[in-house]
Amino acid sequence: MIICLTSANDSGGELDSSRLEQCLLGVAHEDSQALKELYDCTSASVYAFALSILKNTQDAEDVLHDCYLHIYSGASGYRSFGKPMAWILTIARNLCLLKLRDRKRFSQTPLEDWEPYLKACEAASPEDRIILTECMKRLSDEERQIIVLHAVAGFKHRETAKLLQLPLSTVLSKYNRAMKKLENDIGKEY
Amino acid sequence: MTNKDTEQKIRQAFSNAVPDIRDSILSDCKTKKGAVIIMTDTNKKTLWARRLAGIAAAFVLLIGGLAGFQIYRANYSVASTVSLDVNPSIEIQVNKKEQVLSVTPRNEDAKIVVGDMDFKGSSLDVTINALIGSMLRNGYLNELANSILISVDSQDPAKSAELKERLASEINAVLQTGTFNGAVLSQTISADSNLRDLADTYGITLGKAQLIQQIIAQNAFYSFEDLVPLSINELNLLTESGNLNLSNVSSLGTASDKAYIGEEKAMELALSHAGVPAESLSEYELELDYEHGTMVYEVEFDCEGFEYDYELDAVTGAILKNQKEATGANTTSSQPHHNPGHTNIVPEHASYIGEAQAREVALSHAGLSADAVTAYQHHLDHEHNTMVYEIEFHCQGFEYDYEIDAYTGAILKHEKDQDDNYIPPQTDSSQHPSDGSGSYIGEARAKEIALSHAGVSVEAIYNYEFDLDDDDGIMIYELKFETESCEYEYEIHAVDGSILKYEWDEKD
Repeated sequence: MIICLTSANDSGGELDSSRLEQCLLGVAHEDSQALKELYDCTSASVYAFALSILKNTQDAEDVLHDCYLHIYSGASGYRSFGKPMAWILTIARNLCLLKLRDRKRFSQTPLEDWEPYLKACEAASPEDRIILTECMKRLSDEERQIIVLHAVAGFKHRETAKLLQLPLSTVLSKYNRAMKKLENDIGKEY
Repeated sequence: MTNKDTEQKIRQAFSNAVPDIRDSILSDCKTKKGAVIIMTDTNKKTLWARRLAGIAAAFVLLIGGLAGFQIYRANYSVASTVSLDVNPSIEIQVNKKEQVLSVTPRNEDAKIVVGDMDFKGSSLDVTINALIGSMLRNGYLNELANSILISVDSQDPAKSAELKERLASEINAVLQTGTFNGAVLSQTISADSNLRDLADTYGITLGKAQLIQQIIAQNAFYSFEDLVPLSINELNLLTESGNLNLSNVSSLGTASDKAYIGEEKAMELALSHAGVPAESLSEYELELDYEHGTMVYEVEFDCEGFEYDYELDAVTGAILKNQKEATGANTTSSQPHHNPGHTNIVPEHASYIGEAQAREVALSHAGLSADAVTAYQHHLDHEHNTMVYEIEFHCQGFEYDYEIDAYTGAILKHEKDQDDNYIPPQTDSSQHPSDGSGSYIGEARAKEIALSHAGVSVEAIYNYEFDLDDDDGIMIYELKFETESCEYEYEIHAVDGSILKYEWDEKD
């Protein structure tokens, strides 16, 4: 339990919707402290989601950056439906789709560059690296997005289904299949 | 390791890998704000105009962005999936404008049909026309097999239904060729995870999986695996012949049975084999069915107090099974051959050993005489890919269950189980419902008993499972193990070591 709490704090605190809405309200009033807090709470989810779609750390970082600029300029337009995280990740997803479209237009082959990045990333422990590698390598794109939305962003499967425009049953079965894959590998290592 | 732990690890891993660009974001946001402030300071007069312009620009951007996204969605995202199954199975994904995004062959035949044609960007109609043309050219659709299944999967149910109707009638029109008329089955798909799993497992389209599921739901005699290798024409024939009413599947035209001898011919063959003139029939049934891996005609008719039951190979007309039975028979009679009026099953295959001999084999294996057994039952069945006599009887509180190979007389399976309904003549007063564990024979001894009874050595077994269990007040050892060829189960009395039940079953 203690471990759970500390690491939840590591990841930027629980993703408490009402707290996030307060942050958004602050951001709308150009409160940089609120933006800081919002970033701390949600950047892991945004980045993980972007990386899971784009599989390229440079692109994911761009999306992370642009996403908060969009949030900053769009926060005043945010209407509370009690789902600030879904709002944020919809922005992130649209930015990712734009990136993918650019790639297609300029026929860039997306470089999957996360491996050297991971090696250079000091904050990530060896265990983190194994887990990330498993997530990137073993899972299909959709499986990875579903896992990230559930595990990192704390989405309910229903919300995942809505965001990814997939049937709920598909999300559930893919989630279970992906967890099985990961548990086999992560479970073996540790 | 639970899901929660794994998720926790994933969350932490991603959190630790996030690049720290908070400060750069903050400063970029400030520049944005700063820029606005500068503008308001220097150009007070045009403030409103600028604001308006700004708002207008924002609107233009917003609308442009939305439009761009819509165009993106209309062009690149999959709006509907159409699959065609004949025997070649092909999946076509189209966008909102019904332009083809991808065409995926799902089996080897489909690869031949698709060949090196590239459909990307062409309209759905053109694509389907080309594919059907190729199926006709390659002989997958002809007068012998004329059925095609169209399945439409779209997030919008109204769109699914509309597309389904339109494609069905278009394809039907294409298939009204000079030499034969097509039969078109069409359905919309509601893909659940279960269906997806089935389709993935067997490498078939969702459409075929759904059709098979519906057929199974109507006729429990078929299993999913049985029907997977069948072509749509064969599935269509089964549906028509069995009068199955598949909800959700619309059907145009009739499936061709020209590859088969036909119902008339099947009837004629059966009648001539039985030596019964067609005129004397009182009642008959004829059905095309799928059994033991082949399409068969099942013919049943009554004549002069006998019921005849034939199975004929639908392609060759060979008689696979034939039974003649006196009507009003009692199927549990133990004396089949000498009791007119009682059961009189005469197996056509002279090579069957016959029920009497099968009974003898079972009784001698059980070490019992025919008079000692009660509740004797038998019937001929198809199991383990061969014909077997299933023989059951009771004796002194035990139930015996045998499967005897109908050709060789070999025992394929036998079971001896306590008869729950048996009331022993005198109850043994020395029954010990819960003895102290000290008097148990122990696992080692129980295993020894089971192995020596099964006649296998301890090295030859694997998947050994052992359990001590309380079965209605009697403590028993339950043992399970396998050898290369068989699976064994034993229940051994924990106190006196007697075998209460044993079962062995040959692996298929």
